[in-house]
Amino acid sequence: MMRHFLKTSSRLCRGDQALLQGWLKRSPVHSLAFCIPAILLGCGTYGFTMGLWQGWEMASYVGIKLPLVIFATLLINGMINGMLAMVLGSGIGFRESVQFLLAGFSLMAIVLFSLSPITFLMALHAPDPEAMGAKHWHSATLLTHTLVVAYAGITSHRSLLRHVREFAATVEHGTRTFFAWLAGNLFVGAQISWIMRPFFGSPGLEVQLLRDQPLEGDFYAAVWRAIQHILF
Amino acid sequence: MNDKTPLETTASNPNRPPKHPYKYVDPDYLPIEGSGFSQVLNHLLKKPLSVIHEINHGKSSPLPALLAVTLVCLSIFGLVLGMFSAGEQLWAAPVKVVGGVILSALVCLPSLYIFGALGGMDAKVQQVIGLMLTFLSITSLLLVGFAPVVWLFSTSSNSLVFFGFLSLSIWLICLIFGIRVISRASKSMGGRKGGHLHIWAAIFMLVTIQMTTTMRPIIGKSDHFLTLTEKKFFLIHWGEILNGETNQSVREARKTESGEKSVPSTRSDKKSDAQTNPYLKE
Repeated sequence: MMRHFLKTSSRLCRGDQALLQGWLKRSPVHSLAFCIPAILLGCGTYGFTMGLWQGWEMASYVGIKLPLVIFATLLINGMINGMLAMVLGSGIGFRESVQFLLAGFSLMAIVLFSLSPITFLMALHAPDPEAMGAKHWHSATLLTHTLVVAYAGITSHRSLLRHVREFAATVEHGTRTFFAWLAGNLFVGAQISWIMRPFFGSPGLEVQLLRDQPLEGDFYAAVWRAIQHILF
Repeated sequence: MNDKTPLETTASNPNRPPKHPYKYVDPDYLPIEGSGFSQVLNHLLKKPLSVIHEINHGKSSPLPALLAVTLVCLSIFGLVLGMFSAGEQLWAAPVKVVGGVILSALVCLPSLYIFGALGGMDAKVQQVIGLMLTFLSITSLLLVGFAPVVWLFSTSSNSLVFFGFLSLSIWLICLIFGIRVISRASKSMGGRKGGHLHIWAAIFMLVTIQMTTTMRPIIGKSDHFLTLTEKKFFLIHWGEILNGETNQSVREARKTESGEKSVPSTRSDKKSDAQTNPYLKE
């Protein structure tokens, strides 16, 4: 089973067209049986190392929350993603759109999983949240995780784009559909991440599963306030 | 591990050159001529890809030989580094160098597998372990080649900063040669000319550099074998060492100006070192 999992991960990373074609032709159980455990394991492990610098409690919270962000984004966007694929004339249906996106996110999870021993070691090197230099470490950690997640996201989406172009009626339709999915997932994913914060945890703030009023405010208002703060 | 995606000889005409499933195959990606430890060692520098070919398709696995080469060579290099401070560092430095490199390799092994696959490399876990060991053994062999140079400075230089910089530069030079082998091997295993392995190489370099701080002191002296209680980022650690040595130089220059007899800091001058150099305080 482990061997099969490793082999499928390797094929997915190499962008093996036959793997995705096989998943799309066969029952969705086959792709779900790989993608869901991959996202749980990959994002869970990486999330654990992301929160570890604040202690085991935070690590466990983030280990649970990170896969949840992925699943919640897919769940909320599932219907619109399927509709967009049809409206944009890609020839991709509801089921295929979910399978494509799950495959993309599982590739991202695999990349994150492969880097988690390094981020684990990095967390072990972190100073205590109350110690001097914790703020600097927090900034460095934030930057590193942002870069790592961005790299994993870009890599997986590049691969997904190739697959969607191949599968869609024309390359142009595939590209359009892909970017529509991307925009929707980014928009919703950012807000879900905001609701499920904290992920890194700022030094001095209490370690929590969710902030006291998680549904208060939104990501975009916070970004706007930050821009105003910088400019004025 | 045998019969992976081997060079296939056409059944109809055995004299025809073997076909390979990948577009590009390095001319050195051929079986090792002969067998045994000496052959592996011989091919490691001349034709490292033949060692990787042997791991992927050969009958006898060269992995034990590669592991032995890596451990012995790293121990020798560690011993030479330990000569800077002598005393307990003569055994502590080799242990830390071997431990640090092996731990870095273990930490970076999953990412090598995945980043290699992202670049199109078609390899099994055992083959990736073999690739990593080949990379480490080439790097270690080159380090032994540089060992006399390091030894020369370890016995003559008083500056921790200079010696540390020299050792690190040599480590990075050797790593670059090792990484080139990984890159070439990847192409012979179906990999494309991609940036994923370069990113992995940069990550591996960073991990090993951080490991020098985690395992500190490797060059200087300490009452403790490891300083795990105080966690530090390598740039901060280097900055502290640099400041410590600069302050020491300034103090010595002032003493000289005021007419006092300057006492140069040497490795044998333990009191002076321990008082002025933060590296040795740990």
